[in-house]
Amino acid sequence: MASSSRVEILNEGGLRVDGRRPYELRSVSMTFSPQAHADGSATMQQGLTTVTVSVFGPREPRSRANAIHDRANLVVEVGVAGWSQPGVGQRNRGDKRLTEVGATIRQTFEPVIMSHLYPRSEISIYVQVLGSDGGILPTAINATTLALIDAGVAMTDYITSLSVGLHLTQPLLDLSSPEESDIPYLVVASLPGTGKVTLATLETRIHVDRFEEMLAVGVEGCKILKAEMEGEVKKRTGTMVERMKLNALPDRAGGMKDSDRDILMT
Amino acid sequence: MLQVISVPPIPLFHADDVTAEFSKTRHHPDVQDDLDSDMDVDDEYGTGLGVGSSSRAGKNITSPGEVVTSAKEFMRGHGTYTEGDNVLSTVAGTIERVNKLVSVRSVRQRYNPEKGDLVIGRVIEVVQQRWKVDTNARQDAILALSSVNLPGGVQRRKVETDALKMREFLAEGDLLVAEVQSVENAPQLHTRSLRYGKLRNGLLLTVPPSLIRRLKSHFHTLPPPCGPLGVDVIMGVNGYIWVSVSVGERNNAAVEGFVDAEGVYSDVNDDISQSSRLAISQVANLIMLFARYSIPLSDTLLSDAYAWCRDNGLTKSGQMMDKEMEKRCLTEITGMDVREEL
Amino acid sequence: MPRDIPVPTINRSFVQAALEKGHRLDGRRPLERRRLLIQFPDPEETSVSGLGRVEVSLGKTKVLARVSAELTNPRSDRPFEGLLSITSEIGPLAGEAFHGEGRTTEEEVILTRLLEKAIRRSEAVDREALCVVAGEKVWHIKLHIHFLSSDGNLIDAGCLAGMTALRHFRRPEVERLDRDDGMAAIWKVYPTDERAPVPLSIHHTPLCVTFAYLEGNLLLLDPTSQESQIASGTLTLTLNAQRELCVLSKAGGNPLGVEELMKVVTLGVDVVREMTSEMESALKADEAVRIVDVR
Repeated sequence: MASSSRVEILNEGGLRVDGRRPYELRSVSMTFSPQAHADGSATMQQGLTTVTVSVFGPREPRSRANAIHDRANLVVEVGVAGWSQPGVGQRNRGDKRLTEVGATIRQTFEPVIMSHLYPRSEISIYVQVLGSDGGILPTAINATTLALIDAGVAMTDYITSLSVGLHLTQPLLDLSSPEESDIPYLVVASLPGTGKVTLATLETRIHVDRFEEMLAVGVEGCKILKAEMEGEVKKRTGTMVERMKLNALPDRAGGMKDSDRDILMT
Repeated sequence: MLQVISVPPIPLFHADDVTAEFSKTRHHPDVQDDLDSDMDVDDEYGTGLGVGSSSRAGKNITSPGEVVTSAKEFMRGHGTYTEGDNVLSTVAGTIERVNKLVSVRSVRQRYNPEKGDLVIGRVIEVVQQRWKVDTNARQDAILALSSVNLPGGVQRRKVETDALKMREFLAEGDLLVAEVQSVENAPQLHTRSLRYGKLRNGLLLTVPPSLIRRLKSHFHTLPPPCGPLGVDVIMGVNGYIWVSVSVGERNNAAVEGFVDAEGVYSDVNDDISQSSRLAISQVANLIMLFARYSIPLSDTLLSDAYAWCRDNGLTKSGQMMDKEMEKRCLTEITGMDVREEL
Repeated sequence: MPRDIPVPTINRSFVQAALEKGHRLDGRRPLERRRLLIQFPDPEETSVSGLGRVEVSLGKTKVLARVSAELTNPRSDRPFEGLLSITSEIGPLAGEAFHGEGRTTEEEVILTRLLEKAIRRSEAVDREALCVVAGEKVWHIKLHIHFLSSDGNLIDAGCLAGMTALRHFRRPEVERLDRDDGMAAIWKVYPTDERAPVPLSIHHTPLCVTFAYLEGNLLLLDPTSQESQIASGTLTLTLNAQRELCVLSKAGGNPLGVEELMKVVTLGVDVVREMTSEMESALKADEAVRIVDVR
């Protein structure tokens, strides 16, 4: 697994390959409801890695056998665009890896989505990777969080995720593709409110003593990311709420005020 | 019958779309001390929507995981959960407080059927003595054979053969308008009014259900000069909207007492004139326009919009509006500055 | 295909209640492993196929691992490296819930991927040592893992079986014989009674440790299949004796704080140390009995 070119992960000035500092995240961009026909969707871009997630549901399960009597059934499917990175078309172990990524995302969100509110229904999450420059899994998880919020699916908290690498003894946050292929790293996803870890995966050897520090750095980074995401979500929610106020039917004969309805809560 | 799939996708990067802007790079607190999640995030994003204070996230906007209030004083309602002493939100939306009950109303949600709702649905399956109807909700609704009006009169007794001939009444793929009778297990529908039943002579639109309010009446008519006969709009609370040629008599059937016994379940469209079709399409486009900008729908809004189009010479020419014109139209009609699609 | 029926509520609450008191259904303590049994084939069998075959049992979970070697051409982009492929098969023999040929469930995919990551990706086997002639001939080591019976925790058993088989295996000696008539050279593979086979070069021995989480953050080591079904999540660590984490997979289940996660990792280090020593003693015992060298 030698890297193709000897890239300097960290130069003497303490800067990484793309000029970032060790704990600096890549620039982030979020778009809500890019897929208007889905119940909820979001596109998340971290650096050049772009992932779009569409959420359908809760809705009737496509196969009766999948209906669970007291909770919603979560289905996750992952696809990678052929153009997302060079050489992708040549690999055919793609399939198993994608199934694994889908299973990972499903297991990560299962405890956070309040699925007991939607018995006998199915929530389908479709992940599409459009650009791949390292950190596909973390970006997919972040985009899924936004898409679920966009769809109005009840969750206990955001789930934000980042990759954390290790260069010698220095942890690095949010790795790009050349960094991922060169240094050992782990992907962590956490619930920023409590700082607890809900996903931790690594496939490259890391010494146990270094592991703890990387986890801690990752969890902190996730909190920062959540603040970003929450800001965008609230801003957009605010705009939508303003629009909804338009036309607030009022005093027309026969029209019920929304505030009247509220009291009829069940 | 045409079916238009809801709102067209917006391009990823919009010239004036603020959310597409690349934000500044983030720094870990060890490196940059002043990044604080309590900081006023609004300022960081530069220009808001330009609508002054109303663009700032209001004080009662919340998102999942945020503490809404203390559980000791309040009971929790929809959209919240309790953890320890706190009530936290589970969705992104507005906090609502009614006496001692706190809940969060999500801005966007899948339609949740409630008793008395008027919905438009599509039959997806015909099973023993029942039809399964898709209403864009969490579960498919059920329309029982005993809940429909059978041809031959409102009070006809159900006969054995009816059960075998169910497909002659409603088959898979048919659209119908019905009312939700009850919601236990799966929602139950009924069409026991002459205004309900199979739909024809029009087109179906899908919009997010949150844009449709629960009103006293969901049957609206735009009278001529909107089309030679007028245009009917049925706004299902579940987000399905039916726009069709106005059949004035249909709504007055109960008054006149006349029911076309065989015609109720007929599958054949009447002859629709060119100008009728034009009017229907225009109304449909206006509805989709409001939906794209997340503006709640109402019949006055629609008639105002149609009037605006007529005043601006669009109805005769049948021309489509471009983005600038759309924004002008919306701004003038709603009195609010609408800059971007949501 | 019959699906595993969900665990009945009464079973679930009983097991949960028992665990809260620290008892497991099979009498183990929460952090106790099942008895590990490592069996090698009859020592009389000294042919190459007798080497690199091992059967591992963890309670009722039984796994058979086989290693075989074949001379082949290297990959064009990696001319100095040999090849290692891992095939894991799990069919209805192991349990009703597993499908036969053709239909792989998500669980099987995860299992296969985990084994691949643990053994292949972690570079346990030195692939450069498998090279005979750079760019021309290399050894292709094939590891087959067959799951014979499933009672939970297939990963730990499978990984242990695979690594033990790789340590046990010896590949035959090979020599290139040039022909006088100018035709292509022949590679002669010596059977084991002519020349002693050579063990593989193994960098480190990664072993998997699986924990299951139940409600209330109860931690179980080496869950049985019923315990896995009741669990809200599982966590698998792959560690080697040098205290390096090779693979970590925690997806879903109860969210854990960083310190809680580290506690589990420390536990895992101890468990791996024990398992490694058990494996070593089993290998040594077999070595004493088996005659591998040429007389």
